[in-house]
Amino acid sequence: MLMILDSFSSLWCNLAAVFKYMVGHISFILFAQIGTKHWRYYDFGPKVVPPLICLPGTAGTADVYYKQIMSLSMKVGYRVISVDIPCVWNHQEWIQGFEKFLDAIDVHHIHLYGTSLGGFLAQLFAQHRPRRVKSLILSNTFLETSSFSAAMRWAPIVGWAPSFLLKRYILTGIHDGPQEPFIADSVDFVVSQVETLSRDDLASRLAFTVDNASVGPLLLSDSFITIMDTNDYSSIPQELKDQLGERYPAARRAYLKTGGDFPFLSRPDEVNLHLQLHLRRVGVEAKPDLVRTIPKDGSGGSPGKENDEKKDHDDQPNGNGGNPESTSKES
Amino acid sequence: MSMRRRTLLKVIVLGDSGYVHMKFTQQYKATIGADFVTKELQIDDRDVTLQIWDTAGQERFQSLGVAFYRGADCCVLVYDVNVMKSFDSLDNWHEEFLKQANPTDPRTFPFILLGNKIDVDGGNTRVVSEKKAKDWCASKENIPYFETSAKEDINVDAAFHCIAKTALANERKQDMKQYGFIKQWRFGYDHYLVLHFSLHSRDL
Repeated sequence: MLMILDSFSSLWCNLAAVFKYMVGHISFILFAQIGTKHWRYYDFGPKVVPPLICLPGTAGTADVYYKQIMSLSMKVGYRVISVDIPCVWNHQEWIQGFEKFLDAIDVHHIHLYGTSLGGFLAQLFAQHRPRRVKSLILSNTFLETSSFSAAMRWAPIVGWAPSFLLKRYILTGIHDGPQEPFIADSVDFVVSQVETLSRDDLASRLAFTVDNASVGPLLLSDSFITIMDTNDYSSIPQELKDQLGERYPAARRAYLKTGGDFPFLSRPDEVNLHLQLHLRRVGVEAKPDLVRTIPKDGSGGSPGKENDEKKDHDDQPNGNGGNPESTSKES
Repeated sequence: MSMRRRTLLKVIVLGDSGYVHMKFTQQYKATIGADFVTKELQIDDRDVTLQIWDTAGQERFQSLGVAFYRGADCCVLVYDVNVMKSFDSLDNWHEEFLKQANPTDPRTFPFILLGNKIDVDGGNTRVVSEKKAKDWCASKENIPYFETSAKEDINVDAAFHCIAKTALANERKQDMKQYGFIKQWRFGYDHYLVLHFSLHSRDL
């Protein structure tokens, strides 16, 4: 049985191993404890460039964007931050938590790349913190969660469901059946990531998905939005994707012919090309001359840094700033 | 399943001068020498999205990498009817595309030729005759030919309609072959979970 499991897992292990090899022996994953929230993230690329922040979907972690980090920040010269969505149970908690996180890593203006649930979170943040979000790349995502809560009859007990049930639910959402090799590998990698998530992580993400929230109108102009859907299939129903397209009629359509649910893993070169074109269009310039082969400032975004000096004047005041313990879980 | 999926067609425009955008600044050339526009069309009741990729010309095409031409459904070659050199380099572009995109059947891969800028100076500065262009097309498996003016919007719609139809015909053949064989999903997820939890049942 072990042997079967070994051969089964070899592919995604290889992917992860390559990434670990690329970033050297030191772990470049960063951790930040902000209030009650625990943030796990990668931060690569020149600090002077406004960052592209990648937000994964329900099944993803910060690691799923390693191909974007390897190309865009290690070669092209963009700053790419990839985060694990922490344990947040509703959208207010997300907006406040993410804002505190940005304050803690001393980042003010951001460009968000969100896939699936990550795209929904990106839009919510853009809606409530319009001055911080300079542009959006939305991939296989949606405007509201009502259809998910309707489809999930056991939504009310998601907070108490055991881990295996949550995992099973998340994994069955991923497209099954015969796949071409790159897509199959991307699915394997994400499945391996689901295994690393704690029960609270899983439960909070699912609770978020069935929270019955929706994205209101954005102040951001459509010309700063790129929609990067895959045209073959994804676990997000086509109606929801169309609804999103109608909300942002003048947004740029950077459709991918194929790629499945995780094009950032299965079609990295196409996704990276579209990300670069987007960043170029919204005026973010890469700094290739500042790219180091092996970054030495892995601690650049460390949580302990004082960030009061460069407070953003035009942003909304951070009401809870002085009281890190005030964030409480859903009652 | 209630909604029909739109068809996405990828079209690559090649030629000595950019066609769709016409202008790229120096800075853009230095980074990525390409950009795209999308155009929605309806062909025989089908909703078709054309994703038209244009290069900044010159030899930028080669440096763009696989992502640029992967999954191309049609290649549009463009020359300027007032510039002989742009016509002469068509052979190069044709060859270059086949080399880079490596379509499964180079003989049947759809190309279209556009002779552009027919509006300039009432056609007095024209150096490439229609016949010459048509002869070239005939020598390359009868490539469809259109004379257009992007500036005056002459014949552009007809050309793109033809591009879409040609690409549509080619679409199905191309798609699956881009990535070779289809891999059967090795185990169901349930299987996987059973394996996993029998090994790590302590965690539960």
